[in-house]
Amino acid sequence: MKRRDFIKNSSLASGVFLVPNFLKAFESQNDFIKNNKKLIIIQLSGGNDGLNTLVQYNNDLYYKNRAAIAHQKANLLTVNDELGFHESLKGFKNLFDDGLVSVMNDVGYPNPSRSHFRATDIWQTASSSKDYLKTGWVGRYLEKVSKTSLGAIEVDDTLSLLMKGESINGIATKDPKLFYKTTQDPYFGQVLDNYTDTHLSDHNLGYLYKTVIDAKSSAKYIFNKTKVYESKAEYPGNTFGKQLKTISEFINSGLETQLYYASLGGFDTHANQLNAQKRLLEVFSTGIHAFITDLKNTGALKDTMVLVFSEFGRRLNENNAKGTDHGAANLVFLIGDKLKSKGIYNQPANLVDLDDNGDIKYKVDFRDIYASLLQEWLDTDPSKILNGNFKTLGLV
Amino acid sequence: MQKKHILHLYQRAGFGLKIAQLKEQNTLTVDRLFNTTLTVDDLTVSTPEIDDFLANYSDKKAKDEKGFREIIKQSRNKVVEFNSAWINRMANTDNVLTERMTLFWATHFVVRSQNIIYYQKYNNTLRKFALGNFRELLIAISKEAAMLDYLNNQQNKKGSPNENFARELMELFTLGEGKLYTEEDIKEAARAFTGWGHNFKGDFNMRKKLHDEEQKTFLNKTGNFDGEAIIDIILKQPECAAFISRKIYTSFVNDRVNEAHVLEMAKVFYKDYDITKLMKFVFNAHWFYDEENIGTKIKSPTELLVGLKKIVPFTFNNPRQLIYIQKLLGQVLIEPVNVAGWPEGKNWIDVNTMMVRLKLPSVLLKNGTIAFDIRGEFEDDFDKFNKKSNLNRKINITPNWEQFDEETITLTYEDLTNLVLRCSLNKGSKDFLKSLEKVDKQEYCIQLMSLPEYQLS
Repeated sequence: MKRRDFIKNSSLASGVFLVPNFLKAFESQNDFIKNNKKLIIIQLSGGNDGLNTLVQYNNDLYYKNRAAIAHQKANLLTVNDELGFHESLKGFKNLFDDGLVSVMNDVGYPNPSRSHFRATDIWQTASSSKDYLKTGWVGRYLEKVSKTSLGAIEVDDTLSLLMKGESINGIATKDPKLFYKTTQDPYFGQVLDNYTDTHLSDHNLGYLYKTVIDAKSSAKYIFNKTKVYESKAEYPGNTFGKQLKTISEFINSGLETQLYYASLGGFDTHANQLNAQKRLLEVFSTGIHAFITDLKNTGALKDTMVLVFSEFGRRLNENNAKGTDHGAANLVFLIGDKLKSKGIYNQPANLVDLDDNGDIKYKVDFRDIYASLLQEWLDTDPSKILNGNFKTLGLV
Repeated sequence: MQKKHILHLYQRAGFGLKIAQLKEQNTLTVDRLFNTTLTVDDLTVSTPEIDDFLANYSDKKAKDEKGFREIIKQSRNKVVEFNSAWINRMANTDNVLTERMTLFWATHFVVRSQNIIYYQKYNNTLRKFALGNFRELLIAISKEAAMLDYLNNQQNKKGSPNENFARELMELFTLGEGKLYTEEDIKEAARAFTGWGHNFKGDFNMRKKLHDEEQKTFLNKTGNFDGEAIIDIILKQPECAAFISRKIYTSFVNDRVNEAHVLEMAKVFYKDYDITKLMKFVFNAHWFYDEENIGTKIKSPTELLVGLKKIVPFTFNNPRQLIYIQKLLGQVLIEPVNVAGWPEGKNWIDVNTMMVRLKLPSVLLKNGTIAFDIRGEFEDDFDKFNKKSNLNRKINITPNWEQFDEETITLTYEDLTNLVLRCSLNKGSKDFLKSLEKVDKQEYCIQLMSLPEYQLS
């Protein structure tokens, strides 16, 4: 038989996804909603230079350390008489002026890692710099609260550690149609049609079968739920814009998923930083502005909160390639219309009292922010999700 | 030995049998497996320009040299090439056990390095001692440039000790977290390793002036210890033998650990830390062939790829595409997630990796397509990072179906099933496979390898 005929035959046989009885139990897991609050997590990956994002334009130390790459007041979007945003952040600044943004300075943790991989792990698992955790904090939320993979979606091809739990993982997809089509492939899990319950009791094989079923039903669910809604808002045509548009469509079509994760990469500006960061912040600002405006218009903003972080900040002292090297504590943004402390949350970074590497010292532990969002926004006891007790900051 | 047991042995110890080996199946034994390990060949990719550069420049001069950035770039590409060469080696070698052990140690003594010279040297040290003495392996690896860099021992100096290596030595390499030792022991051990470093070429360099010669107290013993003395004190702890045995058991036998079996292994291992003796003990143990240990382990992405290649030989024409596939599967061999290595077993499996795993045979061998973005690393510039499109891509691969056809001509469908799958099938899947027998053997084989059962070893 020719391959084409084979595919035709097999797709005829499984054209309608016949769900054996034993699988049905797994298909009706969509009642996982605890509340309808959404949290969107965005990583500016590579280590965004916070000191050139929110500039202390009256600080001599800033200009002394950054002769080649400092921004002058005239080019900044001033916030007050000492701080100004990078000129690329126009849309973001509008949101800020509308009281939709909280900017937190000096966010980090003790003994910071300056490796992208390790620091990303730390932020994603909410661990200390000593511990290696195998699950992400969103993964643990799925385990303890959502109880289903559908609780969290990463808008990408592969799943980050952030989204992995002990026995439940989130789902990675940025194109529900393609995702769905993959599960309809003639090579994909056809054998399910022939199966009985006994397989599921088996330790590893059972887990594999459950995951295949999960893939099929989740892909189908997401596709069916989201296929009718299309956002009419204008988004920038770049990847980040598309990711945010996808998230907006997921939210507005009524998908119950509570947590979303997307990343914007390229912030590792060791050389010729000025141009690179200018373009990246422009991508970030136009994208996030379109997203928040879209959600505001559809009414979804009241239930949505955005958290923006970067795995570390960059060194105060520029290097000799017109760039900056890996640093420590950095800015975090919260965006939404339920923020308690709108505007600048705390004092800007202290440029005198630096750590041994010449980096900004942390004053806010990032896990306190997680704890606050869990408690105050997602209505979940943070100690269930985070290892250890962290204080809540009254952010929402 | 029963046929089933030979297949099990070679699956766990060598990524599965090749089709051609089925003929000689009856002659295969545990002894024969070990007889092929006696000669070990280094794995290298050729690096003429980097070698030249290293020969001509010392550390300080080199970094100012114009060509240095180009050499760094070349080195990165060579590491990618090494990744392919390593996968090929695992699939093609007759010395399967040495390669399987090398893979095991690479997931135990984790490093990450963009320096091909250091990485290759480290990798061949693992290979050289893969079935040797654990003490020698441990000391040699602790002196590797890739390890000294990765765990910052290069920065470990008298007066300002860096504890990173000492901590992981105990937590991840020998004793396990929170067992036996205190924070104070870590500090003292770090002092003993002060001065251990390497030169620009990657050779071990004992920097005497940076070594702390004062007394240290480690695990209740006091003396003027150096790094090797610390390692010897660690090896005296029975917990070390137990820790390694448990990890071997998890990787080669079952991720549900039978404590009694691990205890037996640890007793054997503790005598002289001979890795060959330990592995012989495991593969000769009657419990290794218990039903609960056959066809019940989830393959790592590397085991999966190498296993596929052993059934149908194929070549990635672009070594970067192999990296993309490894990324989708969750294990880029040259880029361990962190010093703790990859979490194994069920941790390999999520909805997305499962979809990739089931599609993999058709994508690799039958011109199937798969969606992925070519995503850069952190250091990439803006354009490179953001030039992405969500396409269904074809992987540029040349499968050798001719060889497969030739080798399977005398095989029945049942032979093929028994070769490819390790776990037993129930009636449902048997019926499904029966219904496929009308297609040709290529198609049949791809379907076999697209079953969830194929994910088990």
